[in-house]
Amino acid sequence: MKLSKLLLAATAASMLALPASAAEVKKIGLAVPNLQADFFNQIKLGVEKHAKEKGIEVVVVDAKNDTNTQVSQVQDLMTQDINAFIYIPAGAAAAAVPTRLAREAGIPVINVDRTPEGAPGDTFIAGESVQSAYEVCKYIIGKAGGSGKMAIIHGQKGTTPEVDRFTGCKKAIDENKGVELVDQQWSNMWSADEGFTIAQNMLQANPDITIIFGQADGLAMGAAKAVDVANLSDKVIIGGYDGDVSALEYLAKCKGPFIATATQSTQKMGVLAVESALAVAAGQKVEERQTPNAVLTTCENAPEFVKSHP
Amino acid sequence: MVADVKERQGFAGIVLPSLRGATGPLIGLIVLCLFLTFATDKFLSVRNFLNVLDQITVLGVMAVGMTLVILIGGIDLAVGSVMALAMMVLGYLNVVAGVPMGIAIPLALLVASLNGLIAGILITRFNVPAFIATLAMMSITRGLANMITDGQQIIGFPAWFNMMAIVRFGGFLTLTVAVMVVVFIVGLLYQRYRHGGRVLYAIGGNAEVARLAGINVQRATVLVYVVCSFLAGLSGMVLAARLDSVQPSSGVSYELDAIAAVVIGGTSLSGGTGGIGGTIIGVLIIGVLRNGLNLLSVSPFMQQVIIGAVIVLAVTAETYRKRK
Repeated sequence: MKLSKLLLAATAASMLALPASAAEVKKIGLAVPNLQADFFNQIKLGVEKHAKEKGIEVVVVDAKNDTNTQVSQVQDLMTQDINAFIYIPAGAAAAAVPTRLAREAGIPVINVDRTPEGAPGDTFIAGESVQSAYEVCKYIIGKAGGSGKMAIIHGQKGTTPEVDRFTGCKKAIDENKGVELVDQQWSNMWSADEGFTIAQNMLQANPDITIIFGQADGLAMGAAKAVDVANLSDKVIIGGYDGDVSALEYLAKCKGPFIATATQSTQKMGVLAVESALAVAAGQKVEERQTPNAVLTTCENAPEFVKSHP
Repeated sequence: MVADVKERQGFAGIVLPSLRGATGPLIGLIVLCLFLTFATDKFLSVRNFLNVLDQITVLGVMAVGMTLVILIGGIDLAVGSVMALAMMVLGYLNVVAGVPMGIAIPLALLVASLNGLIAGILITRFNVPAFIATLAMMSITRGLANMITDGQQIIGFPAWFNMMAIVRFGGFLTLTVAVMVVVFIVGLLYQRYRHGGRVLYAIGGNAEVARLAGINVQRATVLVYVVCSFLAGLSGMVLAARLDSVQPSSGVSYELDAIAAVVIGGTSLSGGTGGIGGTIIGVLIIGVLRNGLNLLSVSPFMQQVIIGAVIVLAVTAETYRKRK
């Protein structure tokens, strides 16, 4: 009696184990919006490094910020019989179509950074921008003495990070009565040259700006250049976001108007994405939302992040 | 049996002359397909072939219009922006204003065509060079497209709209691919058999001679830009169906892809030679190349290099052949 029960349990266990081994992950498809952006490149590096350790092949496709290209590329990934799909939607419109394609193929979908409305993946991995943006703005406002005229250089209008980072920063502004938000402008590519031009125009219109928040490090670095050119380096304080390698190197020097950023755990996001893909494929339950949070980075802790990016 | 043979001759009679001057690109396409067939076992399958057709619909429809413009020695840099504007008009009318698709789509196409009308009038009546006129329209239409929703995307089309790009009728054609095929066939027939089609070559060869020969060059030029913008709008409808959403940032630099497809297909940028047959080959080359490079897991940076090299190769091979 006992033996038969044991046998039954054993067969049940082996039957349970079967689908897990059948869904072994050998090849992961990674769809990236734009590898020119350091942020996505770091995620890619994280995915590749971790997958290599696990002996998994990674196929990367780069949509160059075009949703149409991305849908085509995802079709091609499906043709290559990938076992799991890591999806970072391109553009402001996080298209639901790639998720549907992957669902049709019956493979795990892991969303990183952005998630399409109405078609969620198995898990969504992204930093929590609101809180980290609040910390950056609180820090730079504090360094400026809690008052002064402030400007914000936004990212691409309407994207999730743009909206969230503004929400967080606005909270810090509202907490300091002496801070006046005098100018806000939007960029398209989150890039340094845009940050430079926008900041230059802002300083032209309001020469007494003392605090600038750039929603990405590229924008903040560009703004820092504009401030240098205008000879205002000792009067203006700039905050950024993302923790790009070049920005961390800048901060580590402890010199210049750009003094703080929030370093996103980009490589860790890549590792988490691979881990989640493996877990979902093995039939385990994965948290709906995973938030590897960004860390406030200043001249003090920047050097260690330069050495090894989180 | 006899009718069968006749029919086949008729078919060859349409397709083969349309490919004249595009034999180089055609050979290139065949070599590319052969290479990919041996390089990866994933390439040669019905499923992948249908994927490629899905993937080239937007470019294909747009490139037909661009071919007509380039044939008369013009250029249209505004097609990518016009496409985005048509998509946003469609999204606004259908989703925000609740206008049924049957009315919203024609209205969006009308708005797109208007852009071509303005560009055409600028070029013919005000003697603005085509490059400048369409460059200006590119900027204006992109701005307008962004203004409709203040840069936001629009989602929430009826479910059947996305199905047009997904469901394969008879296991073969999605409706969006069917739209492209119809545009191809109408374009080929018009270019070969209609007076209006022959006129384009005359204008591209020498506009002044064409005028003296009694061709209304101005009217033909305006019409060509209207048709090109209309097709850009139509490609926008196809893209909206494919993405199930519209966003004003769509189609950035698509005009360059369209020009590349036309040029790879053997149409001369100075006008007068080439045609839609070659452009179809050009579109297929770009489509197959992008698809094949993805299947081979070539790194994204390397892909850019290879696509550029293919453009250079296609064009130099063609000019070399002509000089001989």
